[in-house]
Amino acid sequence: MIVTKKLCKSFDGFLALNGLDVNVPKGAVYGLVGPNGAGKSTLIRHLAGIYIPDSGEVLIDGHPVYENVETKSRIAYIPDDIFYYTQATVADMKDFCKGLYKSFDEERFEKLGEVFGMDLKRPVRKLSKGMQKQAAFRIAVSCRPDVILLDEPVDGLDPVMRRNVWSIIMADVAENGTTVLVSSHNLRELEDVCDHVGIMDKGSMLIERSLDELQNNIVKLQLVLRDGTELPEGLEILGRSSTGKLEQLIVRGKAEDVEEQIAQVSPVYCESIPLNLEEIFIYELGGTGYEVRNIIV
Amino acid sequence: MININYRDRRPIFEQVKDGFRNLIISGVLKEGERMPSVRDLASQLAINPNTIQRAYRELEIDGYICTVPGKGSFVSQRDEAAEKRRAELRAKMSEIAREFRHAGLGEEELISLIRKEYDHDSD
Repeated sequence: MIVTKKLCKSFDGFLALNGLDVNVPKGAVYGLVGPNGAGKSTLIRHLAGIYIPDSGEVLIDGHPVYENVETKSRIAYIPDDIFYYTQATVADMKDFCKGLYKSFDEERFEKLGEVFGMDLKRPVRKLSKGMQKQAAFRIAVSCRPDVILLDEPVDGLDPVMRRNVWSIIMADVAENGTTVLVSSHNLRELEDVCDHVGIMDKGSMLIERSLDELQNNIVKLQLVLRDGTELPEGLEILGRSSTGKLEQLIVRGKAEDVEEQIAQVSPVYCESIPLNLEEIFIYELGGTGYEVRNIIV
Repeated sequence: MININYRDRRPIFEQVKDGFRNLIISGVLKEGERMPSVRDLASQLAINPNTIQRAYRELEIDGYICTVPGKGSFVSQRDEAAEKRRAELRAKMSEIAREFRHAGLGEEELISLIRKEYDHDSD
């Protein structure tokens, strides 16, 4: 549904996107993660048709996005800094979007007032950051888009609203097969809502997989080896630390396969623990030289 | 109905699956009862619908529920599923007993622990 091929973009000689390939299947909820400055927002702005690619392609449902009104009217985009006209009220912004989106659903907008209670006559500018986000959400999902692009969507929302927002989006995904691309640093939250994850680094895609594959491809082991034995050959070890006799290993591979390999040296104790997305993120990026350092200042 | 615990190390689809399995075995969800729709559950728990679909698929393979196309999922006849679960529990119990023995704990202690659970139930 969302595809970029060898996408490059530079700003004043700085290469923000470097041959980026993205592939988001229809109906997927795709979590875009990566360190600060990896190019996540730049990618999303290309997908929303704001930037012109230097080279490469940006396709949504097979059509290029830039200056393509037909395609863009199926996409809702909530940027990290929300756009509104200086004097516009929430109602004005709604009417503005209603003029752009043929699929705008007035009834839904009214109904969403139960969740996002707000004074429609107040200027957007005078609302708090969180309320502005809520207003943006209310308008965006009322457009009944086929594709939703979210850049740090729940940043600034309270816990109740975050849940409400995800709840509405998840229902849309289940019912209409809406495709969602979301960038966030809240990996705990992404783990619930995403089924695909792309990890970006320095303008290109480091790993792009389904969440299942990602979680089944790396495992944490706690083990105590028998005296005089060594770990079997051929394990791809990403991290190793030990406390006394207890060793902690991060190994690439399926839990069953790795356990089987370890069993050859019959350790005193061995337990495998699944990694959460946050740990996967840290270890996968660790291989590229970007890691958590023990910094004492 | 189902709770997702974020401190739980189990993947979410497993939590959903185990949650429903317990509800079915304990009889909270009765035979023939309609399971919540994927859409409702996804919205209620604010989790990915594919995750729920996967949990439902596995519950169906294990014989706990059956899906009627266009109508939704229903709790299936319990006998077979309950029997399967009992076998699982027996295996789990043997494992615990083995570990108990390895830890150098006495048979009597294990039995008294078990007795306590059963008495607890009859109170």
